[in-house]
Amino acid sequence: MDIVVCIKQVPDVPNIRIDEHRMTIIREGVESIINPLDCVALEAAVDLRERQGGRITVLSMGPPQSEEALREALAFGADQAILLTDPAFGGADTLATSHVLATAISMLKPFPDLVLCGRQTIDSDTGHVGPQIAEELDLPQVCGVNEIDLQGDSLVVKRLYDGFLDTFRVNTPALLTVSQELSSPHHIPLADLERAFSDREIIRWAMKDLNLKPEEVGLGGSATRAWKLHKAAPKRRGEVVTGSPQSLVEHLIRKLEALSILDEESGNE
Amino acid sequence: MHLEPSMKQMVVRRTVRKFAEGRLSPVAVEMDATGTFPSEIIREMAKLQYFGLEIPAHYGGAGLDAVSYAIVIEEISKASAAIGLCISVHNSVSANPIYEFGTEDQRKTFLVPMAKGQAIGTFCLTEPNAGSDVSSIGTTAIRDGNGYVLNGNKVFVTNGGMSSVNLIFAATNTTDKQKRYSVFIVESERKGLEKGPTEELMGMRGNPVCPIALNDCRVPVENRLGAEGQGLKIALSSLVDGRIGIASQALGIAQASLDVSLKYAKERYQFGKPLSEFGAIQNYLVNLVTRVEGARLLTYRSAYLKDQGLAHTKEAAMAKLYASEVAVDATRIGLQIHGGYGYTKAYPIERYYRDAKACEIYEGTSEIQRLVIARSLGYG
Repeated sequence: MDIVVCIKQVPDVPNIRIDEHRMTIIREGVESIINPLDCVALEAAVDLRERQGGRITVLSMGPPQSEEALREALAFGADQAILLTDPAFGGADTLATSHVLATAISMLKPFPDLVLCGRQTIDSDTGHVGPQIAEELDLPQVCGVNEIDLQGDSLVVKRLYDGFLDTFRVNTPALLTVSQELSSPHHIPLADLERAFSDREIIRWAMKDLNLKPEEVGLGGSATRAWKLHKAAPKRRGEVVTGSPQSLVEHLIRKLEALSILDEESGNE
Repeated sequence: MHLEPSMKQMVVRRTVRKFAEGRLSPVAVEMDATGTFPSEIIREMAKLQYFGLEIPAHYGGAGLDAVSYAIVIEEISKASAAIGLCISVHNSVSANPIYEFGTEDQRKTFLVPMAKGQAIGTFCLTEPNAGSDVSSIGTTAIRDGNGYVLNGNKVFVTNGGMSSVNLIFAATNTTDKQKRYSVFIVESERKGLEKGPTEELMGMRGNPVCPIALNDCRVPVENRLGAEGQGLKIALSSLVDGRIGIASQALGIAQASLDVSLKYAKERYQFGKPLSEFGAIQNYLVNLVTRVEGARLLTYRSAYLKDQGLAHTKEAAMAKLYASEVAVDATRIGLQIHGGYGYTKAYPIERYYRDAKACEIYEGTSEIQRLVIARSLGYG
């Protein structure tokens, strides 16, 4: 089974800062990591390869420093890594990004049996890219899967949606986006890490390698523009109360009474 | 001049940190409380090549560079200094000398299982009457036919309780001072090698440090590491690189102390504001952050010089001396910031405090490091 895993290098979110003037994320001095759900997709790919054999190609569109994420993915178990990088790709929204990724996937020979993506990224959180790639390549898609089984030539996948567990039989080639519950990524052996940085190749494709035009990629190929970017003010605030169990219970009862959630009569019963 | 870690070294740090936070931090407290080393942790770390960090892949190791090695030890020690000690000693003064001075047969027989974590190694130099004073070693190895007969007592052997391969330093020659000592690779199951009870330590608890006695222990000549009389050279060269490991370990303890102290200072309120708003506390923290960064630069630079194949005896001594003193101060002052809570076992700072002290003592005391540095200045 030939599997493509799309990954994105994202800033480590706890340290994220925003340039509110330029409406961009400040990447300087912030460590970059592979989007955590993309690691879940990679782990699923490694697991499928173990069961079925085949080859894992990891694909990322990003600036040259995304090489780090791709090498980490090689250490994680990918067989080949392709970096889609070109100054023209800068400023892409999810549509332009999906177009570049879909074009690259369509150029792979043989065409992959399965494309895996994380359901969403921790930096922009849209969940658009997987479904848009599937639409462009006309592939069946299931988003947010938490279980993948192989049955003959098709996949049986499950996803939790709105409190219901959906089960789908999907013919390949297909695209799946994965949720956290699917797998927990393994720890990388240090020898594989060393090899990924010393012996392995990263394939680089620019705009002309994909036969794309400037108006299809980057800002030119984007259907959306960020209009305003600001930090969401947390609406709910927690309160930490310390003390003995007795005083804590009394404190809580007073609070609930003050909010008329617990009326004094029922509280005293 | 380039003082930033490479792309690979950054991924090494992230990879090890994730493993250490996920797998080592959860066992660190119990290791300290019970004084036992969980065997499943050894198996897990073995599969990820933590026991052959700088050993090339064809001998079963990870083949990392020395700076990456320092980063690995630092990150492990942040989670558990006792595990950091196990990995540092096994790699830098047990596996590495066999790789460097061993024959191809010795590499195949001893190094491969060590790099794969199937055999844990020790470095047995210290004796009841010989620590800093290496020339007082009383263990002897008398040539007898096709082998040697070893007699003597080794103490404070790190990893001793769980070792399979032991590097024993013994006198083979009594006339030439420089060529008095040789090193022998002695398997733990060899007749005549006996391990004593595990020491009850103040810190680094969980690492089975114990004495090893040799009573008419017969080893074949094939188990001699290097030439006869090369022992002092092997010991000193191993200890230089061992110091990079201990400096990294001290750095990890110092950073861990700093991390918990910075957090505590923001969370703990007194007089209506967090401790971090008080000038006295800020002063403590600012000085520590600066000194920890200094220790990091000294440590990485000594490792970098090793990677370049350049002399680094003085630099490794400076890194070990400075980082271990910073670790002791960072834990002592960190505990002070924590106040009464820091003196309880509810917070990890008291463990860091006990762990840090060892770094000023083993693999060459601070006084010996000063001697090494003084010699590099042309004194003594």
